[in-house]
Amino acid sequence: MKSANKKAPYFFISPAIILLLVFSILPIFIALFISFTDLSLAGLADWSRVNFIGIDNYKNILADPIFIKAAGNTIYYVVIGVPLVVIISLGLAILINVGDGRFFSFMRLVFYSPSITNIVAVSVVWTFLYNPNIAIGLFNQILDLVGIAPVSWLLDPAVAKLSLIILALWRGTGINMLIFLAALQGIPPEYYEAAELDGASKWNQLRYITVPMLKFSIFFVSVTTIIGWLQFFEEPFVMTEGGPLNSTTSISLFLYRNGFQLNEFGYAAAGSLILFVVIIIITLFQLRGQLKNNENEM
Amino acid sequence: MKKWHKKTALGALTLASAGLLMACSGGSNESEDSASSDSVTFWYMGDGNEHIQPILDDFTEETGITVDIQSIPWSSSHDKLLTAVASGDGPDVVQMGTTWMAEFVDAGALQDISSYVESEDSLKTENFFEGSVATTKFDDAYYGVPWYTETRALYYRTDLLEEVGYSEAPKDWEELEDAAIKLSKRGDDMYGFQVESNDPSFAFMFARQNGSELFDEDGKPVFNEAPFVETVDYLNTFMQNGSSPKQDLGLDISQTFGGDGIVPMFISGPWMINSINDSTTDIEGKWATALLPAGSENNLSNTGGANLAVFNGTENEENAVALIEFLSRPENQLAFFENSNSLPAATVAWEDEALLDPIIATFGEQLENSEAMPLIPEFERISASYLEDWEEIYLGGADIQDKMDELNAETENLLQ
Amino acid sequence: MNSYKKAQKRNKVIVGVILIIGGIIAVTPFIWMMLSSFKTNAEIVSMESGLLPKEWTFQNFIDLFEKMNFGVYLKNTLIITAFSFGGMFLNAMAGYGFAKYRFKGRNSLFIMILATMMIPGQVTMIPVYLILNNLGLTNTLAGIVLPGLVGAYGIFLFRQFMSTISDELLEAARLDGASEFYIFTRIIIPLSKPILAVQGILTFIAGWNSFMWPLIIANDEKYYTLSVGLQLLQGQYGNNYALQMAGATFMVVPIIIIFLTFQKYILQGFNVSGLK
Repeated sequence: MKSANKKAPYFFISPAIILLLVFSILPIFIALFISFTDLSLAGLADWSRVNFIGIDNYKNILADPIFIKAAGNTIYYVVIGVPLVVIISLGLAILINVGDGRFFSFMRLVFYSPSITNIVAVSVVWTFLYNPNIAIGLFNQILDLVGIAPVSWLLDPAVAKLSLIILALWRGTGINMLIFLAALQGIPPEYYEAAELDGASKWNQLRYITVPMLKFSIFFVSVTTIIGWLQFFEEPFVMTEGGPLNSTTSISLFLYRNGFQLNEFGYAAAGSLILFVVIIIITLFQLRGQLKNNENEM
Repeated sequence: MKKWHKKTALGALTLASAGLLMACSGGSNESEDSASSDSVTFWYMGDGNEHIQPILDDFTEETGITVDIQSIPWSSSHDKLLTAVASGDGPDVVQMGTTWMAEFVDAGALQDISSYVESEDSLKTENFFEGSVATTKFDDAYYGVPWYTETRALYYRTDLLEEVGYSEAPKDWEELEDAAIKLSKRGDDMYGFQVESNDPSFAFMFARQNGSELFDEDGKPVFNEAPFVETVDYLNTFMQNGSSPKQDLGLDISQTFGGDGIVPMFISGPWMINSINDSTTDIEGKWATALLPAGSENNLSNTGGANLAVFNGTENEENAVALIEFLSRPENQLAFFENSNSLPAATVAWEDEALLDPIIATFGEQLENSEAMPLIPEFERISASYLEDWEEIYLGGADIQDKMDELNAETENLLQ
Repeated sequence: MNSYKKAQKRNKVIVGVILIIGGIIAVTPFIWMMLSSFKTNAEIVSMESGLLPKEWTFQNFIDLFEKMNFGVYLKNTLIITAFSFGGMFLNAMAGYGFAKYRFKGRNSLFIMILATMMIPGQVTMIPVYLILNNLGLTNTLAGIVLPGLVGAYGIFLFRQFMSTISDELLEAARLDGASEFYIFTRIIIPLSKPILAVQGILTFIAGWNSFMWPLIIANDEKYYTLSVGLQLLQGQYGNNYALQMAGATFMVVPIIIIFLTFQKYILQGFNVSGLK
């Protein structure tokens, strides 16, 4: 890497960097500024009506019982949802990678289809599926067939979170499956051929070839999935609006409600910066773990 | 060699689209800036093509002013308006939901048009329902003209009520409760009356019927006093005795109201007339609308709808007012009613035979007895808190007085 | 050897059965959406309706174009989607820059890029709008396209993929006198097909579904996209599920076509060692 032109890297990265600076980094600083004010709709129209209120927004939001509840829900989503997404999408990718005929490439589309289904359609269909009435809700009809009492999918505070996780799993595995598939295609087939000759079982091939070769993909998918679930929004927004009893309200939904429905921009900005910092800390921990892992191997 | 070409094709494609971006984004800037003196821009919530374009064509024919209409989906209209306020770059005329008037007037987004309201014949306040005019007036100035209005009335299945001994709709709260209980005894998964748990104004409307002022003369909330607390208790009895469904049934109106009538009574606005007609086939002539059952004091309903307002900062005030004036004429309000089923805010329009159908006429009658929710910017926030408390009451079994004390304290805090 | 092949075949059958069961679960709502778009609304809400329409109707699709401006929305959506592929190219460039060069500030710039992925979307909306407004980009196509043109997710994915490409290959090209940009377009891009396929699909979907900015930035309807149209539809015909399903189906079909086109490249695979 010695002979490369010194300017070349900047040529390659600058368009993206400039766009990100203007449309992502700068807005973060503006949001930081907003979080120390009482900016509301009136303030947007007339900046003289904006007051600096120091860290009041931060103090209030950390004492807001609904924010605390939303934070708890979000942790729940991450802890349950992330491992499921990673395991299921990896499992699907491995299964689909077994063959290369038409059937298997068709399956790729099948499992990807939920990700491209429009959210409006999703909410209509799943509201039907989750309907508690045995005459209507497909899930309860199935449970009824095997003799299980109907479940209040979206109405019982304890169950509603899980119902949303199931929905999000359904929507979210497709893209991660594709990433795993792309990575699986990159593993040289000679590795498996050699292992096969040595008489290694499928399980051992999976354990000692596939998973280590996919280490980066797994890391990448976990990081992005954690970030995605920390910002969990669309599913509760369209399915439950955060209810019942705020049991499905995520932090993002809480912020949306305060910011865009109630015009409390300062308050919402403070909340989103807290979320932002949390996400950064978690990701840094993961990065560190990943780096350590790599060092150990060398 | 051939293979190499194929591989580069993908790269070339992306390059080409990058080039296209440069080309097109350069070109698009020119086509704007057409705010000439004989046009006016108008933001309409919903799809303007069907509803209002024909009326605007008439306007253009009469005045020579062209109208650039922009349809905005209801679900995102608040966001769209926020950004318009932030940039000061809005339309000339905007349709403004009555519940949003307070916050946008407070933000200075709308222009004071009192002088026109006083001088132009068709804009005079006596032309419109009092409840609607009230939503345009802030601190003795007018910031809009009522366009269409809505109010809530009771929808009920005449055949099913007949079966439980009601040849007419329930007249007061007691009858409503009694009829609901009887109807819910028809079988499992059958209910009598829908207590709305997602409509933020539902309980406030009932509380006014029970004599609650919601806010006293000093603007202090009175949610923890008897009239309001009793109302919440009354609504909760429907939930607890099973005469109202505790959750969204996830059913279409054709199941809840049509067919067996799982929920044969509910309170809603005029827009439900169309939904019922469109999605049910089996209950024609078996349902009706009625005035709201009266509480201990009155049967005051909740006025909604939308006003037409001039966006602050417009350089096109004359044309904007001309458009509003045109849309406010009773004949155009009627035309709009025919296209969109939005009820005219002009009282004269109600003499037209199109509005004499008893199902619709009920709403005209109810409008005489209807007021908007408190017109303060914080009301949306307050009613959202109420819904949370309400959920904890009917689902979580929380104490009503405790919750209302909390709501009251929270509201006082908010209003300071 | 024969028994080995047999076992191989048996394994495939087992995997196939598992996939079919999972697939049915995954695809049911999707199929339901598509089939519902050919039903009348009365049939959908009647609940007695099975999966297949009793009577096939195309009226919903005709209504999309007659009642709404779906033709215009389609055109805008295609334009915006085309631009987003320009954005994908910029992402690929940045990913390459970070993967294959060592330069001052590399790590801190990369961490900055990653950080942008972590800011919750809702809070940047107002600031981004204010910035665009100051730049005079409201009501322009550039204003709609620019904010989402590049993204950390894409850059990250490209960087990671491209760093697996062997350095010797690039050195060899440099020795032959190839320019840096030539190396990128002629060597790196062709080698990156699997990741381009994944990114291409993602890019297409993002562009295709873009909703917020076309609505916020546009001050008239000429920039509205299909997603905005679908929202208008939902507000207007909230009880007409059949029409909504038709709109949703209409939006999804092109994505399926794109997917089928791109997935060939994912299949083709990627093998660095073979190219050495």
